Amino acid sequence: MGTSAGTSDQIERLRAEGLAALAASRNESDLLDAKGRFFGKKGAISEILKGIGSLSVEERKVVGSEANRARAELESVFEERLASIREQERVAREGLDRLDVTLPGRCQVPGHRHPISQTMADIISVFRRLGFSVQGGPDVEKDYYNFEALNFPPEHPARDMQDTFYVESDAGDLVLRTHTSPIQIRTMERMRPPVRIIAPGAVYRSDSDITHSPMFHQVEGLAVDRNITMADLKGLLTEFCRMTFGPGKPLRFRPSFFPFTEPSAEVDIQCVICGGGGCRVCKNSGWLEILGAGMVDPAVFGFVDYDPEEFSGFAFGMGVERIAMLRHGISDIRLFFENDIRFLSQF
Amino acid sequence: MKIPYSWLKEFIDTRLSPAQVQESLTMAGVEVSSCRFLGEGFENVVTAKILEKGQHPNADRLSLCRVTDGAVDFDIVCGAKNMSAGDVVALAKVGAMLPNGVEIKKAKIRGKSSEGMLCSEQELKLAEESAGIMILPAETPLGKPLADALGLSDWLLEVEITPNRGDCLSVLGVARELASITGEKVACPETPICEDGPPIGDLVSITVTDKALCPRYSARVVTNVAVAPSPGWMQRRLSLCGIRPINNVVDVTNYLLLELGQPMHAFDLDRLNGPRIDVRAPSEPMAFATLDGSERKIDPGMLLIWDAAGAVAVAGVMGGLNSEVTESTTRVLFESAHFDPASIRRTARRLGLSSESSYRFERGVDPGGTLFAADRAVSLLSRIAEVLPAKGFLDVGGGPARRRKVTFRPARAARIVGTYYSPEKCKEIFERLSFPTETVQPGEWDVSVPSYRFDIEREIDLIEEVARLSGYEGIPTTYPESKAPEFSADDRFVDVTEKACDFLRANGFNQSVNFSFVSGRKWERLGSLLGFDPAGAVRVKNPISEDTTLMRPGLITGLLQNAADNTRRFIEDIRLYEIGKAFGKAYAEGHFEESRLALILSGKRLPSAWSGGPVSVDFYDIKGMVEGLLLHLGAGPLHPVPTNARPFLEDGKAADILANGECIGWFGAVRRELLAEYEIPGPVFYGEIRLQAATATPRPVGIYRPLPKFPPVFRDLACVFPAGVPVGDVLALVRESAPEIEEAVVFDVFTGEKIGKGLKSVGIRMKLQPSDKTLTDADVHSIHTKVVDLLENRFGGRIRTA
Ligand SMILES: [Zn+2]
Repeated sequence: MGTSAGTSDQIERLRAEGLAALAASRNESDLLDAKGRFFGKKGAISEILKGIGSLSVEERKVVGSEANRARAELESVFEERLASIREQERVAREGLDRLDVTLPGRCQVPGHRHPISQTMADIISVFRRLGFSVQGGPDVEKDYYNFEALNFPPEHPARDMQDTFYVESDAGDLVLRTHTSPIQIRTMERMRPPVRIIAPGAVYRSDSDITHSPMFHQVEGLAVDRNITMADLKGLLTEFCRMTFGPGKPLRFRPSFFPFTEPSAEVDIQCVICGGGGCRVCKNSGWLEILGAGMVDPAVFGFVDYDPEEFSGFAFGMGVERIAMLRHGISDIRLFFENDIRFLSQF
Repeated sequence: MKIPYSWLKEFIDTRLSPAQVQESLTMAGVEVSSCRFLGEGFENVVTAKILEKGQHPNADRLSLCRVTDGAVDFDIVCGAKNMSAGDVVALAKVGAMLPNGVEIKKAKIRGKSSEGMLCSEQELKLAEESAGIMILPAETPLGKPLADALGLSDWLLEVEITPNRGDCLSVLGVARELASITGEKVACPETPICEDGPPIGDLVSITVTDKALCPRYSARVVTNVAVAPSPGWMQRRLSLCGIRPINNVVDVTNYLLLELGQPMHAFDLDRLNGPRIDVRAPSEPMAFATLDGSERKIDPGMLLIWDAAGAVAVAGVMGGLNSEVTESTTRVLFESAHFDPASIRRTARRLGLSSESSYRFERGVDPGGTLFAADRAVSLLSRIAEVLPAKGFLDVGGGPARRRKVTFRPARAARIVGTYYSPEKCKEIFERLSFPTETVQPGEWDVSVPSYRFDIEREIDLIEEVARLSGYEGIPTTYPESKAPEFSADDRFVDVTEKACDFLRANGFNQSVNFSFVSGRKWERLGSLLGFDPAGAVRVKNPISEDTTLMRPGLITGLLQNAADNTRRFIEDIRLYEIGKAFGKAYAEGHFEESRLALILSGKRLPSAWSGGPVSVDFYDIKGMVEGLLLHLGAGPLHPVPTNARPFLEDGKAADILANGECIGWFGAVRRELLAEYEIPGPVFYGEIRLQAATATPRPVGIYRPLPKFPPVFRDLACVFPAGVPVGDVLALVRESAPEIEEAVVFDVFTGEKIGKGLKSVGIRMKLQPSDKTLTDADVHSIHTKVVDLLENRFGGRIRTA
C-alpha cells in the first residue's frame, strides 16, 4: 500500500473506469458484472477501503471519504441505468404482442347506393311520413292511361309536351309511359276517396342531351278527398321542400298548364347554388323549377267516375334526376347511367 | 316565341318596364324565359361622318380618317378600305366596350394617335362576317347612339306559351294578357283602306265545301302590286322574331302572323285558275308540290285549297309552288281563315311538316279575327307599297263573333283554391279579361268568353283565371286533414328494396341504374348465349338509337356492360347490383313486367387482404350472397338445384333457387363466350332474383319453443362418397335421420389420391340436442350407427378410417 495521494489517484481512476463500464452495459448482467468489479462487496473500491488500516488517521479520513463518495456515485448511476435497461427490455418484450391497429381489418368496405335510388328513397320516405302510400304501375302503358284519361285528347297539341316512345303491339296503342301519372288513374279506378298516394318509377321520353335522358325517374303524388284545396297543396309541398332541401328556402308557385290539373302550378325553389342572386344553373333567374302540380281536373274525375262536385284533389310530380343533380351538384344527367364506380362511390 | 318590347308597346302603352313585363307575365303563367336588351355593347358607339380620308404615313394598309359626330372631330386610324369621305359610319368612342368584348382605348398606331374605332358589322355582332366597316344610310343623323339609329334600343322577350294558350302566340295576344294583369287597355291599329280597285266579286269567287274543317274563310284582293323588298323596319322585326324576309307581300303575311297570330296566305291571283277558290279534302290520295319544293303525298281527309284546275295549297300548313307570289306578281289574294285545329294537326303530323301557320292553327286561331287580319294586311301593304286594293271583301262563314257562356260560382272558386275571393274581385278580374258577366241567380253568374279564348269552356277554367290573376302568392298554406295512411303491397315492396339495398351495401356492392331498353341487335346476335326468345320480345317502335330498341328481357347485359366499362377504368374488384324491371310477352295477349334484382361479382373476396395473399371470389361467393340476401329478405326455405336453363351461365356452374316449388332466382359463373364478347378477363359470377316471387310470402311470425334444458353433444364423422353425391342431400338426410339431430353442417370437403379416384371425403359435424334427458354414450353411439347405415344405404357412403 502506498501513500494517501497514490490511493486517491487510484480511487479516481476506478471511479472513471466504473462509470465507463456502466455506460457500456447493454443489459442487466453487464451492469451487475460492472458493479461486482468496481463497487460491489468484493469490488476494487471495497478492497481499497478494507486496506486503509495501514494509513494515518488523517489519511484514512481523506481516503475513506473519497472512496465512499465514488462508491455512492457509481451506485446511483447503476440504479439509473438498471431502471432504463429494464424499461427497454420490457418494451422490447411486450412489443412482440402489440398489434398495428392501423392495418386494415377483415371486412367488406361498404358499397354505395346509386344517387337516383337514394334521392328517390328520400322523397318516398318524406311523403310516407306525411301520410302517403306507395303505388306502382307498368312501364309499358296503354295510351288510354298515359294520355286519354289524363285529359290529353287525341290530336291535342298538349301531347307534344312529351316526346313519346311507342311499343310494337297487336293489343292496341301501347307506349312507354311518359310520366308516372297513369298510376293516378289506375288507383282511382280501383278505389274510392280518400286517396293519398305517391307513384315512383322510371319514365321515358324521346329526348337526349345533358339535362334530358330518354329514361329518367319521377315521383308523382295524388290526394283526393272532400274539401281538398290548392292551399293544402301549397302547404304540403312547402313541407316537402323544407324536409328535402332544408329550412329557409323560399318557394314560388307560378301558374302553368298540365292537361290533367287545373288550376296548375309550377313550383320553383330559390336557387340552391347561388341563393337567388343568379347563376348559370338557374339561368340568372334566382329560381329553380322543381315540381309541377295542380288541382285534379274535373275531366280526369270524369274518367274514373268521381263526382267533382263532391270530391276535389291535387296532384304533383317531380323529376328525381333533377333533384339529385341539384342536391349533389351534378351537371350532366348522362353520368347517372354510366355506372362508373368512381362516380358511384362519391355518394 | 320572340316579341320585341317596342312592338308590344304599340298594342298596349304599358307603364311596366321590360323587366317588369317579364316578371308579371311569368307570374301569371305566361313564362318569359328571357328579356334581352338588344343594344347590349353599343354604349359609346355613335353615328359619325367621315370628313377626310387619307393615307397613314407609316403604314400602307392603314388609313387616317378625320370624322365628326356633329359636335366634335376625331382622328381615327382605320384598317378598312371600303369607306370614303362623306360616308356615315359607326364610331366607337374611347370607353366603348363592344359586343365582341373589345374595349376601345386611346391609342397610338404607327406613330399616329387614334381616338376611337370605326366598327364593322362583325365587330358589333350584327353579322357573322363583314367585308369592311359598316356604312349607314347617308340621311342618318350624326351623333346619335348607334342603338337608336338601328332601332336596337329595344328588348327582345322570349315567351314560352303552353299548349292551351294558342291565343297568346302573337303580339296582340301577349298584349291582351298583359292588359288582364295590369288593367291597362289594348289598342288595335286602325286599318284604313282606299278601295279604289275593282269590286272583289268581279275578280274571284270563293266556296267552302268542307265547312266543318273550315268554319270561316275571309279574303281581300290587291291589284297593281309591285313586289319588292319590304322596308328595313319590317325586315328587322321579322328577323328578330326568327322569320326570313322575302318580299313585301309575303313579309306582310308573316308580319301579321306574328302580330295578330293569324296565319295568312298570299296567292298570285293571276296564277289561280277560274279565278276561284274552294276549300275541301280530296277523296283520293294525290300528290302536291308545296312551295318548299317538295312533292307531298296527300291522303284523303287532308284539307286543301283548290282553284278551278286543281289544288293550290295545303290548308293552314303550306302553300303550293303553283300559286306562289313571285317578283312578277301584280295581283294578290290574301287568305285569312279559321281551320279546325285537330284536322290541321293531323295533316301537319302526317306530312312531317310543321310550320309557323300549322303551329298556330293547331292551338286555335281566333275565328273572330280573320277579317280584321285581312283588312290589316291590305292596309299595311298600302303603307309600304303602291297598291290598288279591290273594293270589298269575301267572308265565307262570317258574321258576329260567337261568345261562349260559362257558369261561374264565386263560392266554388273558394272551395277549390282554399281562399276567399270576393264577388267584386272576381268581377274586376273578368272585366280586365274582357269577359262580361251576368248574374243568373245569387252566387251564380254567366260569364261570356271571347272567341279567341279556346281554353275557357268550363267553370274550372274561370276559377283558374281568378286564381292566377289574383296571384298564387296570395293563396295561404294549409295542411290537408290527416288520415291513417294505407300500407299497400307497393309500400311493402319499397321496404323490401330498402332492405336489399342495405344488405348489398354492407356487402360492398355499388348500385347501378341502367336503361330499361337495350340493343335488340345485340340480344339477337347473342341470342343463344342470352336465352333470348324473339317471339316474346317487347320492342320500341320509334327508338332514339340502335341501342334502345328492345325492352330488356333480363338485367344481365346492363351489368356485364358496367363490369366491362369499370374494368377498363382499372377497377379490379367488381361488385355491382341493379334493381329494375325485365319485360316480355309471357302470354298471347299483353306483356309482362317483373321486378328483378341482379348482382355481378368478380375480383377479390375482400378488398384488403394483407396476410395470406388475396383470395378471388368463386361460385360459392355468389351462392352465399344470393342466398344470404334471400334469407335477409325473408324468403325460404331455399332449394338450389343444378340448372341448364340459363345459357348465360357455365354448364355445371349454374343453379336455380326454388322456394315453395317456385323458381325465385338463379346464379352461377358467367359463360366464357359472353365474357369474351364483353372483353372481361373473368371469372365473373352473376345472380338474378325475381323480387316479387321471392318475397311473396312474408316470413311468418316466430312462435316460441322452450329452450333446451340438457347439454348438446357434438359428433364429427368423415365419410367417403362417390364424387357426384350432392352434399346438400347428405346433410338433409343426416338432419332427418334422428329427432335428436338438431343441426348438421359440413366442415370439410376434399378429394385426392388418398381418397381414391371418383370419390370425395366429406366431414360432417352433428349437433345432438336431447329434449328430455342427458344423452348417454350408448344413445350417441346408436344415433351415430343409424346415420352411418343410412348414408351407406342411400349414397354408398362409408366411414373414413384415418
Ligand atoms: Zn342560381
